[in-house]
Amino acid sequence: MFKKGIKGKRLITLLSLLLMFSLALMTINIKREKEPLFFESLVIWVAAPFQAVFTQTVSSISNVFEHYFFVVNASQENELLRAEIDQLSREKNELVERIKEHERVAKLIQHEEPQEKKLLVAKVIGRDATQWSNVIFVDKGSNDGVQGNLAVVTNAGVIGHIIQSSGSTSKVLLITDSRSAVDSLFQGSRFTGVIVGTGENETHMKYVPMNADVEVGDAVLSSGLGGTFPKGLKIGTVSQAIKKKQGLFQEIQVVPSADFSRLEEVMVLMP
Amino acid sequence: MVFLIQFIILLVLFSTQTTFLENFAIAGVTPDLILIFVVFCGINLRGSRGIGMGFAVGFIQDCLSGGLLGVNTLSKSLVAVFFSALKDKIMVEGLLPIFLFIITASLLDGIIYYLVLITLFKGEVPGSFLFSSLPVYALYNGCVGPILFYFLDLNRKWVLRKFSNSYLRQS
Repeated sequence: MFKKGIKGKRLITLLSLLLMFSLALMTINIKREKEPLFFESLVIWVAAPFQAVFTQTVSSISNVFEHYFFVVNASQENELLRAEIDQLSREKNELVERIKEHERVAKLIQHEEPQEKKLLVAKVIGRDATQWSNVIFVDKGSNDGVQGNLAVVTNAGVIGHIIQSSGSTSKVLLITDSRSAVDSLFQGSRFTGVIVGTGENETHMKYVPMNADVEVGDAVLSSGLGGTFPKGLKIGTVSQAIKKKQGLFQEIQVVPSADFSRLEEVMVLMP
Repeated sequence: MVFLIQFIILLVLFSTQTTFLENFAIAGVTPDLILIFVVFCGINLRGSRGIGMGFAVGFIQDCLSGGLLGVNTLSKSLVAVFFSALKDKIMVEGLLPIFLFIITASLLDGIIYYLVLITLFKGEVPGSFLFSSLPVYALYNGCVGPILFYFLDLNRKWVLRKFSNSYLRQS
């Protein structure tokens, strides 16, 4: 009986301490969102080399299977061509955007050339350790000039933005995460909206008015508003557009143009 | 030595969880090896060491995540407390008991996460979480649990044979 009492008291003390510590962590985290805590940096510093080795090993093994055992040449060639298509698609989008911009700006006398952003290539070394957030870790951090809120892209399109960077690694919040929001527009109609993540492999485009003409397959680009993502980066294509009678806005699903399950290298758009 | 072995196991589990486990996703859901490890520790470590392990592992998981710091520390600790308190009253042998305990732990973990998030960030949790993601997560963990338990148990028996320690339970 006595022993049971002690056990019960100890358990309550332990639970109270756990609760208090967790709440303290959450509070600190909300207050200092972009700066990693010492412990966070330490854990990432310890884990990063092992993550890199694991990623490299798995990548090598899967390369052997995909490129040798399955199809000797065609698979590799296919992958090169896909990468080329992605790059051409990005260049085409940029050109279409430039043409549209020129058409609009042609009416004005003063003309400003869009600034070229410096790209920093980073390797994806790991993914979120939990089930519930869509975050990746890249091998470039504050030592390389990476800081919070920088856009991260691939040739296929927008990936996300940096939410935290420590010495040699950074955390990238993917656009599919439910906390992500990217101001965007349709390439054709120029109607704007906000791309928000769903936590799954697709995103929703919110606040698109009912009078906007949206069709499946329409390309969605970043609008440049908000400051994180430059204008004209491809985000994805519309996979479903529903106009409900009662709603103020359309319900639009957008499939990201980048394949998030096969991310190996990404580009950070430096300031 | 026992600590070193635990550290290596943790390193392998975290590296697996954060690298190639994504390739085995079902409906966008991957198993949580860390949670299974916490349940194993809650049951197989002596005294309240399982709770300490749950706390430490949850904290590391938080650090290796982009989510809210502290959520996993809390949920994994509570899961460890739950199983640590029950360890003398339950028999965890055979596929079905492990499957059911891991499902319970997954549901507990997911509900704690959900409650914390809707309390602090109302509106940022997708509505489908409780009725689509969480059941798949629990079932997937339940299926992977017995396999990981088998290997962790093999390691436990090996450690008990090789090293004398006051850390692991005999059975």
